[in-house]
Amino acid sequence: MRILSIAVNTFRENLREKLLYNLLFFALLMIGSSILLSRITLGDYHRLILDLGLASINLFGVLIAIFVGIGLVSKEVDRKTIYTIVSKPIPRYEFLLGKYCGLVITLFANTIVMVVGLLIVLQVMDVPITSLVFKSLALIFLELMVITAVAVLFSTFTSATLSAIFTLAVYMIGHLSGDLKEFSKKLDEVSQMVVNAIYYTLPNLERFNLKGHVIHHLDFGMADMALTLAYGLTYAAFLLLLASIVFQRRDFQ
Amino acid sequence: MEHSDSILKTAGLRKTFKVGFWGRSVTALEGLDLDVRQGEVFGFLGPNGAGKTTTIKMLMGLIYPTSGQAWLFGRPIGDQESKARLGFLPESPYFYDYLTGLEFLQFYGHLFGLRGVALGKRIDELLELVGMSHARHLQLRKFSKGMLQRVGIAQALINDPELVVLDEPMSGLDPVGRKEIRDLILRLKESGKTIFFSSHILHDAELLCDRVAIILKGRQVACGRVSELIDEGVAHSVEVVIDGLGPEELARLRQMADRVIVQGSQVLVVLPSRQQVGSVLELIRGARATLVSLTPQKGSLEDLFIREVKNKQPELREAV
Amino acid sequence: MSFEAISARRRHLLSFLTLVLLLGASLSMQYLLEQRSQGRIAKLEQLRLLPRGEILRPALLGYHQLGADLLWLRVVQVLGDRVVRDKDYDWLYHALDVITTVDPKYVYAYEAGGIVLAELASRVDLSNRLLEKGLAPNPASWQIPFRLGFNHFFHLGDHSRAAEYMAQAARIPGPFPIGPPHYTARLASRLYVQGKNPEVALEFLEAMLEQTTDELVREKLQRRIRRVSLERDLQMLERQILQYADSKGKRPASLMELVSARLLPGIPSEPYGGDYLYDSKTGKVMSSTHDERMGVYVPADSLATRGDIE
Ligand SMILES: Nc1ncnc2c1ncn2[C@@H]1O[C@H](COP(=O)(O)OP(=O)(O)OP(=O)(O)O)[C@@H](O)[C@H]1O
Ligand SMILES: [Mg+2]
Repeated sequence: MRILSIAVNTFRENLREKLLYNLLFFALLMIGSSILLSRITLGDYHRLILDLGLASINLFGVLIAIFVGIGLVSKEVDRKTIYTIVSKPIPRYEFLLGKYCGLVITLFANTIVMVVGLLIVLQVMDVPITSLVFKSLALIFLELMVITAVAVLFSTFTSATLSAIFTLAVYMIGHLSGDLKEFSKKLDEVSQMVVNAIYYTLPNLERFNLKGHVIHHLDFGMADMALTLAYGLTYAAFLLLLASIVFQRRDFQ
Repeated sequence: MEHSDSILKTAGLRKTFKVGFWGRSVTALEGLDLDVRQGEVFGFLGPNGAGKTTTIKMLMGLIYPTSGQAWLFGRPIGDQESKARLGFLPESPYFYDYLTGLEFLQFYGHLFGLRGVALGKRIDELLELVGMSHARHLQLRKFSKGMLQRVGIAQALINDPELVVLDEPMSGLDPVGRKEIRDLILRLKESGKTIFFSSHILHDAELLCDRVAIILKGRQVACGRVSELIDEGVAHSVEVVIDGLGPEELARLRQMADRVIVQGSQVLVVLPSRQQVGSVLELIRGARATLVSLTPQKGSLEDLFIREVKNKQPELREAV
Repeated sequence: MSFEAISARRRHLLSFLTLVLLLGASLSMQYLLEQRSQGRIAKLEQLRLLPRGEILRPALLGYHQLGADLLWLRVVQVLGDRVVRDKDYDWLYHALDVITTVDPKYVYAYEAGGIVLAELASRVDLSNRLLEKGLAPNPASWQIPFRLGFNHFFHLGDHSRAAEYMAQAARIPGPFPIGPPHYTARLASRLYVQGKNPEVALEFLEAMLEQTTDELVREKLQRRIRRVSLERDLQMLERQILQYADSKGKRPASLMELVSARLLPGIPSEPYGGDYLYDSKTGKVMSSTHDERMGVYVPADSLATRGDIE
């Protein structure tokens, strides 16, 4: 209940972010522009529309998750608004969880808006809407949840700027770690160990990327889907617990 | 340790901060022992940078003590159940400024699980109490500092707490506002609440407090009932105004007095205690001067405070 | 709150254990997912799943070279496996196309990609398509026209196009390796004039061999050099037989007669360790190891074919 109150308040706070609307606007613009682009492309324009639509939703979702997520906790501490909350009988982890849920609600609302935009474009352009599109969207949202948890974790102990940098780094490494691991097979043992450590402790965000499957109509089974969902949620839970432990020890100066 | 009526207690509470790149230690509070009883108004006094806010933040669980212990309602600090019986107004309060007065109080009400009609009634009462009924639909960003302070107090009272902790509740308020807050504190006291507040405005403390503690650079220098502190700490000085003293007598007066101020033919003499009055009167009689007035001075907390600061300054400087 | 009731130390222990548990769980799921997607196929599929270069380019936000490098690394991993199925080369071509769209000046990607597609994949069409794409954005590179020239000469037997490309490569100024190797210009002109001459081909091939470090390509070149030297010997023997017939009015009865007539210093040894077989009725010479001739080098014009059959 208390978590919900904090979440709702966070959601309201997020709705006041101008950045959010700018990003949303650009996302819709990009999704919409695929109609124009499909006129000038040769060959398979279905592919172009899906490509661009899914990529926009993903990219702008990640941007929102990072740039709203990093301020989530650090802003409360900097502005000292947290003082009156922590002095109430709210355990710190509940506060953190509430903030996280608030941002996830925000992201959900945003994703819904973008998805509706995409579905309209697909409908207008007669592109078949397969179940794979929805699987891909679900995993994009899961990725956003993981990224948000990363942003919250960093935001519990560093400034907004630093958490933005760290979160972006995790986002990029998270997408490249699979490749890094492959490349490292040709390296010496020490480098391999380092890369493996990175690979297994950072989130492997490529697991949430089904855009290629959608474009090339490759099937993604229900078992894989369930396992990926479980992986994402477990990892997010891990990050949030870590964030709670860090946050619990922190002095609000 | 547990007096049945001990509401707030600290034992050897210490806090050091790490500052700068190299993590140099700065001691903000050094071994504080407080004991606040049920139903008291307790003033926590000290000049800027004394460590008042640091102490209060530790009590509220915002920062962790470096060493020492503290209890609220007989439970170690940080305990969630004792927090439910607590109200807190931070120093120069910062709140979500996009909320209206009503939404703001609703949010804090929800944190205590208050809902619906009961919460609405409570909010009405509180807005009335702090005189902010007119601002219930105004966003906090449009509040003046005094209004923020009031709505902050309302927030601290939302759960009908037994202990109210206020960090400089009177700062930034005009004389009328300060009087209103004073009245409010007295009203809270009447309804049986314990109030712990920090301030460096001693006049307010003198009017309000049953007991005070004075800290200086993180060290506790005095603690007790206001009247006792003044009686034992400040000898009762006497102000004498004399007309028509010769220069020779003036020189003798200067040896006895704390201060001598000459204004034309009149002289204002401040004597450190009543003991000197007799000899001064003899001096007047011998010089055939006129006694214009003789006023015994009641000691004030301010005198005590300034004297303590003066006394401890060299000692503290050595310690640093 | 029952959770709050537990002592602080137990709470710490509990949250730490949960943390480890969650990390372990996510690790094992990650591992499981990896197993399910089976290493190599996943890698090739990833190449196939690359978005088009035109779309990837803006998404790289200016880090085109970095992006191209990382993709190239990926491609190299796939090639490293060596066991690549034929249809995978389409994905390989797709990946190379993406890389060179993202960074059109990635000369090495064109060059190496061109070699791999032509020599490993036997897809001269894709190799040429890739290389031709690289010509316009890289006017200062000799490697791309040089490669194209080689492809046209070696795989397609199109000597005049090969000569054009070689000439283009030869025009790039600068000392090797900024400019082309010194013999490029001579090769180009000789290709123009006597493209069908095995001597010229051998010269070209030896030059290429000198150029190439890739073992696979070297081996191929060496094979081709042997084959072409066989053809050169055959043509030379046949020429001498014709000359013998012209002067003596009849064909020699055996190849040894050419030596005794001092037309040859000796019979060249067959590069594959076989013998040269002479048919005195037709005047044709054959090799005991190869019963087909390389059509490209037959003086009379015929269709260019890939004459390499071993
Ligand atoms: N986060 C911090 N890091 C380093 N030093 C600090 C920190 N917070 C407080 N201090 C130091 O601790 C000392 C006490 O500060 P504190 O804020 O408790 O004073 P105060 O009594 O509340 O003063 P004021 O009346 O001005 O509010 C000061 O010297 C201050 O510089
Ligand atoms: Mg203070």
